[in-house]
Amino acid sequence: MCSVVPGRFSTIFISVRATSPGYNKNNRVGYDKLGAGQNATVAVMSDSGYDIEDAIVFNKSSLDRGFGHCIRMKRYTVAMQKYGNNRSEKNVKPERDKDDILKKQNMQVLDKDGYAEPGLIIRDGDIYVNKKTPKNTAKSPGVTSTDRDYEDSPAIYKGDDDETTVVDRVILSSDSNDNLTIKCIIRHTRRPEVGDKFSSRHGQKGVCGTILQQEDFSFSERGICPDLVMNPHGFPSGMTVGQMLELLGGKAGASCEQFYYGSAFGEPSGNANKVEDMSYTLVKHGFNYHGKDLLYSGTLGHPLQAYIFMGPIYYQKLKHMVLDKMHARASGPRVALTRQPTGGRNSNRGLRLGEMERDCLIAHGASMVILERLLLSSDPYQAQVCRKCGLLGYYNHRLKTSFCSFCKSGENMQQLMMPYVCKLLFQELTAMNVVPRLKLTEG
Amino acid sequence: MDPQQPEPVSYLCGDCGAENTLKTGDVIQCRECGYRILYKKRTRRIVQYEAR
Repeated sequence: MCSVVPGRFSTIFISVRATSPGYNKNNRVGYDKLGAGQNATVAVMSDSGYDIEDAIVFNKSSLDRGFGHCIRMKRYTVAMQKYGNNRSEKNVKPERDKDDILKKQNMQVLDKDGYAEPGLIIRDGDIYVNKKTPKNTAKSPGVTSTDRDYEDSPAIYKGDDDETTVVDRVILSSDSNDNLTIKCIIRHTRRPEVGDKFSSRHGQKGVCGTILQQEDFSFSERGICPDLVMNPHGFPSGMTVGQMLELLGGKAGASCEQFYYGSAFGEPSGNANKVEDMSYTLVKHGFNYHGKDLLYSGTLGHPLQAYIFMGPIYYQKLKHMVLDKMHARASGPRVALTRQPTGGRNSNRGLRLGEMERDCLIAHGASMVILERLLLSSDPYQAQVCRKCGLLGYYNHRLKTSFCSFCKSGENMQQLMMPYVCKLLFQELTAMNVVPRLKLTEG
Repeated sequence: MDPQQPEPVSYLCGDCGAENTLKTGDVIQCRECGYRILYKKRTRRIVQYEAR
């Protein structure tokens, strides 16, 4: 499984149960040699309502059988820093007490050399490189260093608590200057969940909208239950005629045990199969000419009103998975200049309430929500405003009074809550000889 | 046992596959071919995975 890409030491995704597509095997890429997906039985219909806007409804039993499972291999690199005074960071074996029990619980995956052992299950908070950094990097060389001269600077694995991740491979490599680099590949096997992205080979991509029990899924007269349900509204917008052809060709090919080939080019001289031939094969094997099946409702048991276009389509899992993307923040780092939360997913950054979200809140008349999001949860600032001149003053913490430095008095001062960037804007405008004055109507 | 004494751990060369036994602080280089990438060997501990 891991030997698929043996030489690569970077973040990759591998399909666990790869199968070769049952249709269109004539290609120059060779994806029928190294499969990246599964042949899913697709029912083109709407089921449960969780399939709007290109979403896909999955059969839970199909997922249990291995559909869409993937392995994520992520590389974690640690470099051993070298310092000018002939000192460098060093790696030490995990400390044990006299009963040979680890002193720290998060050193379980470490080997005797202080690096993680391949094959062990690594959990959140575990150390994978037990590194130590010299405290005094300016100390003159020649002095023998002891353990006290080093402080811990371990590489700690950050993972999900209830996910099983495994150290797959560990390499040590040095360059010609003896700079040591450690690379750990950590493997995580994932089952599809709501929000994971899938696509057929025609670019008909969609996210998993919900996962239903097989018992609640519709089934055909032959007892065939689809692996996934795709909404037909995806066809006019996606203009994926080829996918309908694949469904037809895949179904015909599966029933007569051969691989059909469909192409936009090559006809009539080429070797592409025509819809007419596929339909004829389907009729010969007792299917409907159009590739439609009579389905029975899985919940109520009655036949569905319409015949359902159903057949196999090769589906692949895409690398956009919710596990990598989900993010929330209550409090965290802020930018020093604006005092607003920093952006991005890494290290607990904030989420932006953008203009369109603001428009939505205005339309709802939820003014207090806007005030909370844009001021209280972002960058609240207690400003001192002079009612006489309208300029910003300051608060004297020793005298516990506010003062206007323009009027040279503290008589007409008023406290005002405003965003810190607003105060910053006023100061920047003042600096370029534009004077913003605040006129207070209350207080 | 002296905690200062580094224990030797064996690695596999990324090029020739030879087994190298190194101690902490040793230069990371294969003794046979001089290749500078070494792989750690798979653990000898018993691990139980859950296959779902």
